[in-house]
Amino acid sequence: MRRYLFFGVHADPPPWLRRLAAALPFVLLLALYLGASQLRLAENPDDKILPSLAQMADAVQRLAFRPDPRSEEYVMLKDTTSSLARLALGVGLSAATGLLLGLNMGLFPGMGAVLLAIVTFVSIVPPLAILPILFISLGVDELAKVALIFLGIFPLITRDIYNTVAALPREQITKALSLGANELQLAYRIVLPQVMPRLIETVRLSLGAAWLFLIAAEAIASTDGLGYRIFLVRRYLAMDVIIPYVLWITLLGYLIDWLLRLALRRLYPWYQA
Amino acid sequence: MNTTEQLSALRQKNLLHIENVYKQYGARVVLDNIDLSVARGELCTVVGPSGCGKSTLLRIVVGQEAPSSGDAFIEGAPAGYPDATRGIVYQKYSLFPHLTVLDNVLLGKVLESSIFGRVRARREHRDEAMQMLERARIAEHWKKYPHELSGGMQQRVAIAQALIKKPRIVLMDEPFGALDPMVREDMQVLLLELWEEYGMTVFFVTHDLEEAVYLGTRVIVLSQYYIDDRGAAAEQRGAKIVADHALPRRAFSTSVKSSPEFIELAAEIRRAGFDPTGARHVTQFNLSHPDSFQTLTAAESRALRAQEGP
Amino acid sequence: MHKLIGLIALLAAAALPGAALAQKSFDVCWSHYTGWEPWAYADEKGLLKKWAAKNGISVKLTLVNDYVESINLYTAGKYQACAMTNMDALTIPAVGGIDSTALIVGSFSNGNDGIVIKKGAAVKDLKGRKIKLVQFSVSHYLLSRALALNGMRERDVTLVNTSDADIASLFLAERDGAAVTWNPMLLKARSGKDVTLIFDSSKTPGEIIDLMVVKSNAPDTLKKTLAGAWYETMAVMSGQDKASRDALAFMAQKAGGTLAEFEAQIKTTRMFYKAGEAAAFVRGPELRKTMEYVRSFSFEHGLYGQGAKSKDAVGIAFPDGGTLGNAKNVKLRFDAVLMQAAADAKL
Ligand SMILES: Nc1ncnc2c1ncn2[C@@H]1O[C@H](COP(=O)(O)OP(=O)(O)OP(=O)(O)O)[C@@H](O)[C@H]1O
Ligand SMILES: [Mg+2]
Repeated sequence: MRRYLFFGVHADPPPWLRRLAAALPFVLLLALYLGASQLRLAENPDDKILPSLAQMADAVQRLAFRPDPRSEEYVMLKDTTSSLARLALGVGLSAATGLLLGLNMGLFPGMGAVLLAIVTFVSIVPPLAILPILFISLGVDELAKVALIFLGIFPLITRDIYNTVAALPREQITKALSLGANELQLAYRIVLPQVMPRLIETVRLSLGAAWLFLIAAEAIASTDGLGYRIFLVRRYLAMDVIIPYVLWITLLGYLIDWLLRLALRRLYPWYQA
Repeated sequence: MNTTEQLSALRQKNLLHIENVYKQYGARVVLDNIDLSVARGELCTVVGPSGCGKSTLLRIVVGQEAPSSGDAFIEGAPAGYPDATRGIVYQKYSLFPHLTVLDNVLLGKVLESSIFGRVRARREHRDEAMQMLERARIAEHWKKYPHELSGGMQQRVAIAQALIKKPRIVLMDEPFGALDPMVREDMQVLLLELWEEYGMTVFFVTHDLEEAVYLGTRVIVLSQYYIDDRGAAAEQRGAKIVADHALPRRAFSTSVKSSPEFIELAAEIRRAGFDPTGARHVTQFNLSHPDSFQTLTAAESRALRAQEGP
Repeated sequence: MHKLIGLIALLAAAALPGAALAQKSFDVCWSHYTGWEPWAYADEKGLLKKWAAKNGISVKLTLVNDYVESINLYTAGKYQACAMTNMDALTIPAVGGIDSTALIVGSFSNGNDGIVIKKGAAVKDLKGRKIKLVQFSVSHYLLSRALALNGMRERDVTLVNTSDADIASLFLAERDGAAVTWNPMLLKARSGKDVTLIFDSSKTPGEIIDLMVVKSNAPDTLKKTLAGAWYETMAVMSGQDKASRDALAFMAQKAGGTLAEFEAQIKTTRMFYKAGEAAAFVRGPELRKTMEYVRSFSFEHGLYGQGAKSKDAVGIAFPDGGTLGNAKNVKLRFDAVLMQAAADAKL
């Protein structure tokens, strides 16, 4: 029987071909960019819209590896730590709250009755729409930014954990009780460890939204941060800064995702997604 | 047999006692006036056609569900919510996926301790747990997680997990239902060994006739196929215990399954419970077990009333 | 995301260099601001169309909701002309190598931009405060000028880059806020309790100038069309008759406010209703000084980009033929010819 290398449902591309195929769109995109950039720069050497690789490298060099002459800080480092701190705080709080609420709602029908409707309601409110309210009520400092991330993702995490707990087979709970568990032990010894990996998965999925909220918040009012920088230099069309920043954000996002995936595998070997 | 005093004596004497139990989901009646009493040390099998309500009955005994009416007692006290008096082994979901084999077995012991005593509890009961695993012939896999085990291995662990708590009664719902025949027979033999060794009381639900006859000291047949005097539309009715009798205890060897007596016994149960055309009248059931009793309502059996007459 | 779409548009634009030379239809953009609302009037009342027909071309005027985006689109080549301030004309298209001409000097801010503070009475009170503003905008420039005039430096304050849409409400929500912004947000910010206007653009008149900027190589037909339509609109607006009131009411409605609000904003905007005044302003000595301030500010704040070694990298040309900066690399031109032509009714 003939095995196709690439085309058709029976295709079974060997590893080298898979890697090549995966790289292809990236290479094409890069080539397209470089071509267009060169064309524009040939016509107008001061063009800022599609900077060359060298120009971007210069910008990175200046922002990442040389202290800012005025503040004496490494701008990119400062932006990165500020943004990551906000992200970590917002996501961490969301995860803790979502876990606690979702667990209790799923396990204790009374809690579910009180909270399910309100959490569903909150999860439907578009957070970006209430962004100005957040800033006005919480001020323009860190609190409002963290609150936006929190409001944006904790309802979804809560609902996901709730669904996971509610979907645990009833038999498991009966079984735990038959082994002498009380209700507290049931919640924190039996159910909690079982939803932890799901929590990591949910956090992974929520990170995209969290970044979006973070950058939106930094765009509205901020003194530093990755989103702040992008919106700031957009003011004078510094694409040589914006493009590396976007790539950096993408890389950070990928890295965090990878770390969470690693944690999932290491900490919860019994968990098969 | 059915005087109030006799019933109350039975309730006090026996480990498990169920009286007048009905269970319905919405309009659908699943269990219809179940009366049942099981003595200590019995290996009582419950058999019946698929969907007749065996698991429902077991859930009521466990305390996971309350009967729509009627009462269940454990050692003379109302059954209440699930607790350590009753051990359970399900067909699946018995094991906790986040714990290793050893920790699954240790769980019952660890739960007895406070948060701080956990580590000590684990250390103290480790040997006991390993012995349980040894007995269930699964000790060499103590480090593994449940998903790394085959179905039969998982059930061995589940049995060890339930037994370490030394429950008054072990409730099993088709524990071997998902296993292939060879493994299944191994497990049956293991169960008999443990039952004998620990002097357990077992309430064992299965839809497999042979399994019920082979394992049980007593067999209860639950079935919706019966006739009573409430008129037509019998298919709307819930299941009743249509047969309840002792089984002769033979050797553990599974070879008895091919003996003529065994085959005849199985055939009789099949006629009593699995064959709609063989349905008998409520007054005609084989309820020969000494602990068996029946609380028929007037409507169910006018014939009974006529019989008992003046 | 729209960056990517923009990118694809740019690639297309890049593939067609020189397409502008022979063309007969043009795209022009603007965004909302008091001094530019007349463009909406010129467009919707048919003045622009009339002047375009007279010059044998067609012009499409587009409102871009985001001011910076409109300039970026112009710089990227999507529009041949765009309304912007003198500072942004320098730092975005000119520094980006797009040779641009300030075709029409429509007005300058004469109190339309200002600094407000709570619990304070003077510029000195800004010390140590967090100041909300759109960084690198004319607000930033105004603040920088105000600080300099009071012997302070930017280091004495903390800048919070804040989106213009939210600046007024954020300022009002804070107990010890400070903000730099422009109308109509400035009006709203001033309306709060305990708010003091401590500095405004009337203290440095003529430095924040509202322009219609056009690509220097655009054909005269386009330039004449824009100038003609603009000054006809100015004539309508400045008349003391019903047509003038109707025009103002129309613009107020376009700006999304009441007539009273719009008139208040017009008061703090020095409109050059007469082309002759505008031409005189462009020829005057003050403009050169202003542009010196603006380019110093821009260069010091890194708005020239990292490649620039000095503020002389980009040249700015004036009607008298003089230049600031590199005369071989003139990218921003102040030109009075067409304004003068309008004044002489020779368009
Ligand atoms: N929670 C429920 N709600 C509604 N109907 C139910 C519920 N649980 C069980 N039933 C119904 O009750 C009947 C008995 O179910 P049960 O699971 O007790 O049967 P079973 O004898 O254990 O069957 P099997 O041999 O397939 O395990 C079935 O018809 C089932 O559909
Ligand atoms: Mg069942």
